[in-house]
Amino acid sequence: MPNASPPTADEWRTALTRFVTVIPHTRGLGLDVVSVDPPEVIMRLPWQDALLGDVERGLVHGGVLTMLLDTVCGSAVLCGLPEPEVCPTLDLRVDHYRPAVAGMAILAEARVVRVTASMVFTEGTLWQTPGRTIARGIGNFVRLGARNTPPGFGEALFGDADHA
Amino acid sequence: MHEGFHDVAWLARTRAEGDVTAWLERLPYARHIGVSATPDDAGEGEGLIYQLEPHEHNVGNILLPALHGGVVAAFMETAGTLDLMMATREPRLPRIVDFSIDYLRTARVVPTHARCRLLREGRRLANVQVVAWQEAETLPVATARLHFVLATPDEDA
Repeated sequence: MPNASPPTADEWRTALTRFVTVIPHTRGLGLDVVSVDPPEVIMRLPWQDALLGDVERGLVHGGVLTMLLDTVCGSAVLCGLPEPEVCPTLDLRVDHYRPAVAGMAILAEARVVRVTASMVFTEGTLWQTPGRTIARGIGNFVRLGARNTPPGFGEALFGDADHA
Repeated sequence: MHEGFHDVAWLARTRAEGDVTAWLERLPYARHIGVSATPDDAGEGEGLIYQLEPHEHNVGNILLPALHGGVVAAFMETAGTLDLMMATREPRLPRIVDFSIDYLRTARVVPTHARCRLLREGRRLANVQVVAWQEAETLPVATARLHFVLATPDEDA
C-alpha cells in the first residue's frame, strides 16, 4: 500500500481472511483468521470429520497439520514484508509433539523470524488446548521480489471493498 | 473387534494382500484430497506408485494455478506412511515423529505421483524418503523425508 499509512491489525485480518478464502483448499475447510499482529498471525481450523487420519482412535491426519503450518507461515510472510510479495515455500519442517484429537478446532500461530533480501524465515505452532503444543513448524519462503509479483497483488489483498 | 488399523488380524490380512486401498478408505483426509495407490507395473520390484487427484479443492494458488504446497505435503506423508506399513518386516503401526519437505518445482493442477523408499527400519524407528513428480519422474516437484516410531498394533496406546 504505497503512499498510505501501514495497514492496521484489523485491515490485515481482513486482508489475510481474503487470502485464505481465495485459496480453494482452505476455503473448503473453513479456515478462519483469528487475529493479525504483524508479523504474527493466528488462525483457527474448525473441526470436521474430513480431518481424521485414525478414525478408531479419533486422531487428526498428520498431513492436515503440515498443510495448516504451510498456510499460516505463508500468511505471516505476507504481513512480515514491507510490501506483500509472492513467496513460494522453499522448504518446511514439522515436528509432531502429540496427536491432535477429533472434535476440537486446531489453532495455528506463526510469525516471521527474519527477512533477508532473498528469504523469509518463519516458525509456527499448533495447539488445541493452550500450552499443549501439537506440532511445531519451520518454513522458509523465497522472495520473488516486486518484479515477479503480479501488479496489483497488494492492492487485491487489501482491495477497496467498495470497488471489489 | 471391528476391522481397522488397530485390529491385528485385519492389519496382517490387508498387508499380506497388498490392499493399500482398504487402508486409504480408512483415512478421511487422504480421501478428501484424493490419494490412491497402484502397483508399479513398469518397475522392476513390487513397489507402489501413489497418486494425488488434481481436485479443484486442492488448489493453493489460483493465479498460477498451482496445488496447495501443504496438500502435496499431506499426500507425500500419506504415501510414506502406507508404503512403510507395507514394507516393514512385521505388521507395524507407524507414528510420525517429524517431516521435512523440499519444494523443487511448482505443482501444477494435474495428477501428481509419488514413490517411496524405506531407507532404514530399526527396532523402534524408521526413515522414509518420498519423491513426488508430475510429467516425468526425472523432474520431481518435491522430495520429503519422514521419521516414524514403529509400534506393534496391540501396544501403541
